[in-house]
Amino acid sequence: MSTKKAHVTAAADRIPWLEKIAYGLGNTVNNLLGAAIGYMSIVLNVGLGIDPVLIGTLQAIPRFTDSLTDPVMGYLSDNTHSRFGRRRPYIFVGAILVGITFAFMWQLKPGLSQMFYFWYFLVGSIIFYLFYTMFATPYVALGYELTSDYHERTRLMGVQNFMGQFAWISLPWFYAFMENDRLFTDAVQGARVLAILIGIIVIVLGVIPAIFIKERYVAPETEKKEKQSLMKGLSENVSAFFKGLVLTLKRKEFLKLCIGTFFLFNSIQLVGAFSSYITIFYVSGGNTNMGAKYMGLFGTINTLSTLAAIAGVTWISSKIGKRRAFMVATSATLIGSLLKWFCYDPMAPWKVLLPAPFIAIGMGGLFTLMGSMIADVCDLDELETGERREGMFGAIYWWMVKLGLSLAFALSGFLLKWTGYNVVFGGAQSAETFMKMRLVDVIVPSSACIIAILAVYRYKLTEAKSLEIREQLDLRHASLNEGITTN
Amino acid sequence: MVKYIQKTLSLLWILSLSIVVLNCGKSDNSSESKKNVRKIKITMIAKSSKNPVFLSAKQGAEQAAKALSKKHSKFDVIIDWKTPPNENENAQVDSIRKAVTEGTDAILISCSDGPILTETINQTVADGIPVMTFDSDLPESKRFAFYGANDMEVGATLMDKIAELIGKKGQIAILGGNQDAPNLQNRVAGVRKTSGNYPDIQIVGEYYHAETTEDAAAKVLQVNAENPQLTGWVMVGGWPFFDDKLMDKIEPGKYQIVVVDALPEQLPYLEKEIIQMCLGQPLFKWGEVSVQQIIDYIAFEKEIEPIKNMQLIQVTTANLGGWARQLRAWGFEGLTKHYLTM
Repeated sequence: MSTKKAHVTAAADRIPWLEKIAYGLGNTVNNLLGAAIGYMSIVLNVGLGIDPVLIGTLQAIPRFTDSLTDPVMGYLSDNTHSRFGRRRPYIFVGAILVGITFAFMWQLKPGLSQMFYFWYFLVGSIIFYLFYTMFATPYVALGYELTSDYHERTRLMGVQNFMGQFAWISLPWFYAFMENDRLFTDAVQGARVLAILIGIIVIVLGVIPAIFIKERYVAPETEKKEKQSLMKGLSENVSAFFKGLVLTLKRKEFLKLCIGTFFLFNSIQLVGAFSSYITIFYVSGGNTNMGAKYMGLFGTINTLSTLAAIAGVTWISSKIGKRRAFMVATSATLIGSLLKWFCYDPMAPWKVLLPAPFIAIGMGGLFTLMGSMIADVCDLDELETGERREGMFGAIYWWMVKLGLSLAFALSGFLLKWTGYNVVFGGAQSAETFMKMRLVDVIVPSSACIIAILAVYRYKLTEAKSLEIREQLDLRHASLNEGITTN
Repeated sequence: MVKYIQKTLSLLWILSLSIVVLNCGKSDNSSESKKNVRKIKITMIAKSSKNPVFLSAKQGAEQAAKALSKKHSKFDVIIDWKTPPNENENAQVDSIRKAVTEGTDAILISCSDGPILTETINQTVADGIPVMTFDSDLPESKRFAFYGANDMEVGATLMDKIAELIGKKGQIAILGGNQDAPNLQNRVAGVRKTSGNYPDIQIVGEYYHAETTEDAAAKVLQVNAENPQLTGWVMVGGWPFFDDKLMDKIEPGKYQIVVVDALPEQLPYLEKEIIQMCLGQPLFKWGEVSVQQIIDYIAFEKEIEPIKNMQLIQVTTANLGGWARQLRAWGFEGLTKHYLTM
């Protein structure tokens, strides 16, 4: 009985390529929004002269409100019953509103008071993040429920992740565009035009998943509730929200995925600044032009490798399963991180490029496999609770990623201070400072890779187990539908 | 309904594409753009083209010019190097006159002192050509700005460091180079002023000499022989260590020595701990920062601080490797792998 049958995706579970691309375009928008607001913030300081402390506050407050609205939006979407579905209305309206808000929030003109800019941008950012959540949370959840097939989920996430990379590729052009003195008088004017263009792209691409994708999951009639008083409904919803939140956080397999992502993703983000500093100040001896050239080449190799890795990991996962594919991809990142120790060589600066493809494999695999694995967890959750809560899982997962990212940036500054780095010294930092920087740059991501591998090593939803869960769910759905039909 | 939305979307796509195409057309109109590029020529006149210190400054100026031309497509910045081979006030005056005759947009100069140069700078400014000084200033001239070290502060830093090294008591000597050089005088004055904070430190004397390695080394050995109780040296320039002649003539650790400048030739002395600290000047920045300031002044009409102080870097055995790599990045040659991989 140990003979393993090759899994074949049922025709009904296959997502047509055009639909996969339509879904992927949503991720281009999702990444574009997240990246653009951070990247364009340089204009607030350089162009409008806002105090960096105020800019820090401007970035922190909206992210805090965002962290509160994520799970609420997940819950709302999970419990929405409309003829257009429970995700698509939010994606459609959210994309339009977030695109408009983004375009408006950058319509700043020089010469006004610092406090005016602060309040204008603060209010704009809070509204922006609200609509961003309105778009992104249901969008992420939609991906988890588009197919019930174990491998098709990975293929979908592969396409989504692949298309999401285009947002990162476009990022370095933003500054060049805003600073183009043939097109604009200054970067502030450049930012105003760029924001409008991004707003249009967001609206045009963002509504595509809502229009061209059909929601697979339809809540059984029994889930629909009767009309009740506003207060009673509100109290029941609040109670159900917190119950759902606790249930999600108690889901062990989900937590393993969160731990894996938290350590792998955030450790790479945390040492990102260190890699730049080491390349510019240690390897290039403070020659910023040379350092920037290698950083640019590293970024290009990393991006191309990530695109290749997404395709590769998606394929490997269909052969050896998601858990093992994750461990293989993360091991490659571990090798790349360790390789950095030998590749920071002032006598041969080109060596800094060698770890790039290895590091990219784990990062390319991460969000491809995690999205697919969370969808499997949602199946397990439905089997045990009777509810489909992709919205809540997606919201908490991404909330955790965002929280980790904020922590990583904060810790990065703290660690940089600990190394003794002094900006005045440029390339002439002490040997001890460089040693500490290199240690952080190698030890932090390497340890994080090991923790991520160990966390996912204990993940129990293998291919066989997931298929078993699916079968039980299909039986349950069939009997429910039968019951409804009989009634 | 879906068809209607699809049609609307198609229109939006066409609109977006049109915007992109129109923008591309605008920026790719190269023949149009070349006509509008304003050439900005900055004439750079250092003290001596044989001194590697100024060659590093030249490299900084050229890199800044390249970066600014790349960033601002409306102008093209060119560095016109007119530095005489040896330090000579008259030769600098000639360079300025030649630059004015040939046509220049600004002059960047490290001044050999003297009244003729002041007059020439003032005349150049009166003719409508802005002048900026670096390294060595002529504050009484009509230059619009100066970028370089604050020599009084340099002297103070040297004194504080030697005091720390000798435990705030003992005898020290000051090596002063050319007694007529105002920047060196200011450094010595800075040492003297700060020594007031250390009553147990006695300055045995200020020693001046021709600014050659031989003369400076001879002076150091002479003072060492005459002052057996000497515990330390403050050298406001690095002259005695610009070759290896003193390597086996000063016992490492016998004297605590702090020196201005940290050129490649001085690194073995630091490594061997004959010198305890060099105060390195970011020479590359003389050119880099000054060119940025000139462009801000003449192209963007920004207000420029009349004096911008350059921060010096303390170089010890702890950051010897980092400093060596930094020197290489600033254009210095001949640094060995030994230092570059430290």
